[in-house]
Amino acid sequence: MSPDPSHYLVIGAILFSLGAIGFLTRRNLILMMLSTELMLHGVSVNLTAFSRFHDQHDGQALTIFILTVAACEAGLSLAIILALYQRTRSLDIRLWTTLGEEELMPPMADAASREVQAPSEPLPKLAPAGRRPTIGADGHVSSPIIVPPKGTGKGSKA
Amino acid sequence: MNWVSENASLIGTLVLLGATILMLFPTVSNSSGKRSKLLGYLLIPVSLAALGWVFLQPTGDMVRDILFYVAGGTAVIGGLLMTTERNPVYAALWFAVATLGVCGLFVINSAPFLAAVTIIVYAGAIVVTFVFVIMLAQQEKSAGYDRIPQQPLLATILGCLLVGTMLVGIHKTFGPAEPALLAVDRSNLHVSSRPVEGDLGSPRGIGRTLFTDYLFAVELAGTILLVATIGAIAIAPRRPQGSL
Repeated sequence: MSPDPSHYLVIGAILFSLGAIGFLTRRNLILMMLSTELMLHGVSVNLTAFSRFHDQHDGQALTIFILTVAACEAGLSLAIILALYQRTRSLDIRLWTTLGEEELMPPMADAASREVQAPSEPLPKLAPAGRRPTIGADGHVSSPIIVPPKGTGKGSKA
Repeated sequence: MNWVSENASLIGTLVLLGATILMLFPTVSNSSGKRSKLLGYLLIPVSLAALGWVFLQPTGDMVRDILFYVAGGTAVIGGLLMTTERNPVYAALWFAVATLGVCGLFVINSAPFLAAVTIIVYAGAIVVTFVFVIMLAQQEKSAGYDRIPQQPLLATILGCLLVGTMLVGIHKTFGPAEPALLAVDRSNLHVSSRPVEGDLGSPRGIGRTLFTDYLFAVELAGTILLVATIGAIAIAPRRPQGSL
């Protein structure tokens, strides 16, 4: 009653390998995703063949899960591919061999970049606690910030 | 050496298959491109016939055999041409052809519901979306990265080794030498949802299996779909209007 299941396994193996070859040789991002879908097809053929051979439904249930995951994968991958395409205007995978961006600072600041970022002038200091800010006649609030060069702090106070 | 001489037919088939794939790959030089491609097209039936002769001997049920050869041949040819086609839109359409072949195999394996669902999801949704994106993203005729494949020789050798390994395993397990491996005592299988006679592949049977044995996985798959939807919406780039 049940035919030779090895036939279907052979077809599944060939489809899987063709998908692998396609994934390795293609340079188009979209076609790389399509090649992985071909590999999933090979697995599905195997699962249904075993399902038939054992007269059980488990293989077909697993194939439905494969379909679900493939649909999710297609949607997500197309969103990512479009986002990548907007940056480079190309679908070539070789443009993404390095994922870093040139215009960004390196994430860990080394000693040289820290020295560049150090302020050249001394920072202003806050007034000691408990001193009230003075409010001018026009309603302008002069905050009691004391700047280290002498005289200016007192002037703002008066 | 002994092993090689014993498995000469297997190795010959693999070499033929690899040569077919290599011949089908687009060549860099445009002058000799057409001839090698034609040779590749001529090699397809030869390698398929060799494959069928070595691994896919007919089982005796004639109708089933013919259906199997047609569907399996469609799937393999679609996969071959999808892998090697240089125009991405044609490659996506060859993938649809391979999907149709795979659905034929599903029908032969008494999974008509799965075949219908696969056609709807793959040919109806995935391929159409991929073709849409290809057409939106590629205005010019064919880009350089489609014309020149990446390491075709190494990839073909690797793929042939992969398929050779699997074929040896299948041949050893399912070959005529050891049929005892196949004898599954079905009365001892303890599965709660054994299909009744003639129920395999019906939507009712699959639904019963899904919602009894795989209920948790079904919930998980629904969650994955929801997360993927939200993620795709979040990732998808936004543009003012009309431009990709």
